[in-house]
Amino acid sequence: MTVAKQKKETFFQRVAREWKTNPMFSTGCVLVLMIVIQTVALGFNDASFGAWLQRWGKNWINILRNNAGVGIVALGMTFVIISGGIDLAVGSTMVAIGAVLMFIINGYPAGLLTSIGITGVPAYIIGILAALLVGCLIGTINGTLIARSKLPAFIVTLGMMKICRSVTQQCMQTVAVKVPTGFLAIANTKIGGETVLPILYWLVIAAILYVVSRHTPFGRQIYAIGSNERTARLSGVNVEKVKTWIYILMGALVSVTAVIQIARIGSMDYANAGSGYEMDAIAAVVVGGTSMAGGKGSIVGTVLGMLIIAVMNNLLNLMGVPPFLREAFKGFIVIVAVLLQKKESAN
Amino acid sequence: MNLSMRGIVKSFGANDVLKSVDFSLKGGEICALLGENGAGKSTLMNILGGVLQADAGTIELDGKPVQFHTPHRSLEAGIAFIHQELNLINDLPVYENMFIGRELKKKSGLLDHREMIRQTQQFFDEMGLDIAPRAMVSSLDASYKQIVEISRALMMKASIIIMDEPTTSLTDPEIERVFDMLRTLKGQQVGVVFISHKLREVMEICDRYTVLRDGVVVADGLVKDTSINQLACDMVGHAVKTDSARGNTTVGAEVLRLENLTLEPYYRSVNLSVHAGEVVGVTGLLGDGRSELFRTVFGDMGKYEGQIFLNEKPVTIHSTRQALQMGIGYLPRNRKENGIIKDMSILENGSIVTWPRLTRFGLIDRKKQLAEFDRQRQELGIKMEKPDDSITSLSGGNQQKVVLAKWLSARPGLLILDNPTQGVDVGAKEDIYDIILRLAEAGVAVVVLSNEAQEIIRVCDRAYVMYHGDIRAQVQGETMNEQEMMRLATGG
Repeated sequence: MTVAKQKKETFFQRVAREWKTNPMFSTGCVLVLMIVIQTVALGFNDASFGAWLQRWGKNWINILRNNAGVGIVALGMTFVIISGGIDLAVGSTMVAIGAVLMFIINGYPAGLLTSIGITGVPAYIIGILAALLVGCLIGTINGTLIARSKLPAFIVTLGMMKICRSVTQQCMQTVAVKVPTGFLAIANTKIGGETVLPILYWLVIAAILYVVSRHTPFGRQIYAIGSNERTARLSGVNVEKVKTWIYILMGALVSVTAVIQIARIGSMDYANAGSGYEMDAIAAVVVGGTSMAGGKGSIVGTVLGMLIIAVMNNLLNLMGVPPFLREAFKGFIVIVAVLLQKKESAN
Repeated sequence: MNLSMRGIVKSFGANDVLKSVDFSLKGGEICALLGENGAGKSTLMNILGGVLQADAGTIELDGKPVQFHTPHRSLEAGIAFIHQELNLINDLPVYENMFIGRELKKKSGLLDHREMIRQTQQFFDEMGLDIAPRAMVSSLDASYKQIVEISRALMMKASIIIMDEPTTSLTDPEIERVFDMLRTLKGQQVGVVFISHKLREVMEICDRYTVLRDGVVVADGLVKDTSINQLACDMVGHAVKTDSARGNTTVGAEVLRLENLTLEPYYRSVNLSVHAGEVVGVTGLLGDGRSELFRTVFGDMGKYEGQIFLNEKPVTIHSTRQALQMGIGYLPRNRKENGIIKDMSILENGSIVTWPRLTRFGLIDRKKQLAEFDRQRQELGIKMEKPDDSITSLSGGNQQKVVLAKWLSARPGLLILDNPTQGVDVGAKEDIYDIILRLAEAGVAVVVLSNEAQEIIRVCDRAYVMYHGDIRAQVQGETMNEQEMMRLATGG
């Protein structure tokens, strides 16, 4: 935001101006408000301030860790949506990737690699590479159908969503899998007494993608395509290539999420894991101020959006809202957050 | 039915579009309404069609004064306006289109398909038309679509039909088909207003003509008493500034040569060449194919027949990226749709072409980006506040200069400018002409596509005139004047 050459601006004038012109500001306001409510809801009946702070911090680490997986998916979804697309397949893709990973490194009775004598770290590396490969492959298929065959992204990824989950469930119904305990270290190694690795993965990827979105030709071309594909093409942008890479990146990020999720709990429920991920990710992106019409949005916004939804979840938990009602609150916050941004852009 | 419009006045703000215009039409007559873009033809007909309201003046039908506040009222009075973009629903069959909005129903309330088909067939038989009522509109060619729309108007008892440039998107046989329909209409005492730029067609099909220029009727009479040359003169007027801004040009090596370039239905067998340091114009009227021709050269139209030579080497161009790498720049027409990215800043709009070149360790080097843009900004005289402001904060002329800057920073050897002064004010227009001339002096081969004869004369060394996808002639020096170009562009 540029600061106009005004004489003196009181704090309130400044807030009013930001509220009117900066969609990210209202998103931030919503987040701060929710954090305040959440802090109050957490209560202050502790022995000391130190004890309270520790409890408060633990709660936060929980919130972040529980949402790191969807958070990573939402980062990729930001690029997809800025480019004018959508990816409904992320949850199912994660299950398919997870199945391949588990099949390869399975410790019990014996996975592919165990049976040929590769175990431990080398097996994990091969497994993770295979997961990335499958993720990128599915991304390539999505991207090619969308960018080159010009099919609507909604339809391609809807189809891919059905295919991935159904094939995975069919193939894995007789395989009881258990991940070697060593693999769990990827997500569960404690740093300073807390399990924070998934959070670090999320934040590091967010930082990298922030730079990509702001400072690389690829990142800027995504915005250009989302805002005006015709002009982008006439400016020599290889629209098909950029679009395909967006979905490949999405696939790779889903692979990372799959690895983290499996490493956290050591197994995967093929019928239910990742279901609703696409909607949670899209909600985070939209709450973060990214336009469904493409061309506008940011990685920072998506992180904020994810936090809003995460804090909301936590708050509902603390206040003891019945589980069935929680989704309603989520729906409510999505609509309100976007409504606030809408008001800004109309001004 | 006899129509008479008298003393029609219409202005938009300070812009007087129609200054007391008289227009009349008798039943069974085809009257051409002629004039350059902006002469007031469409405004006049929109008033007749009930789309716009006149500020002053009267409209009489058979001597009775009438007023049309909506297109619907006008239609009820028997006046049908066939717009260039046809008003048919492609995914419905012909007969349903014929009855849209007034569908026939059975007692049960369901559609009476059989009766609608029967009536449609009966009408087509009477008119001697060979169209199957059950055919999907999408399966018809453009001429039949027009005929269906005219037929619908006639079934609704229209007795005056306004046709706005009906032949622009048609091939010659299709035009003949529509003309046959018009002759049938004449026989049935229907009056037709034929808005067109194509004088040859006017000579062929029309009985009378009215020429508008700057909101005033400057000529009218019987077609048999005039000629294409005379009409072209009437359209552009006599007081025409023909001074060229070009002095003696030193022409360098050949940069672009097209041999038998063909892409049906847009253009065919096009041969032309452009040299370094030369400004070559390509002009014509709507539907002449010049935009498609040069979009092909820029790799935006996909496959084509014939051969493109760049710097005397044969090349194949299938994507804009390739064209860019070969040193071709292309400033498209319709800035809003094709030229600018409205969600991005001035700086980004001005540098998108060069992003891949401006990177350091994979990241766009903002310093280099700013330096390059600043150079262009000074060169082109772009008036702006900060490079990070939105492109939409600039005036049309300055936006166009930013689009130009984006191409100049790629340093093309061949620069194609399609309607470069579209939607820019007079001052910016002159600036852009200056830039074009400076580029040519620096040795760039420049192609200017324009439908404004004055613009071509002003900046070009020579020009090709296109008509319906063919290059009719090359004009230069003496022959590069408005009347001659208008004559060629209208098929004369």
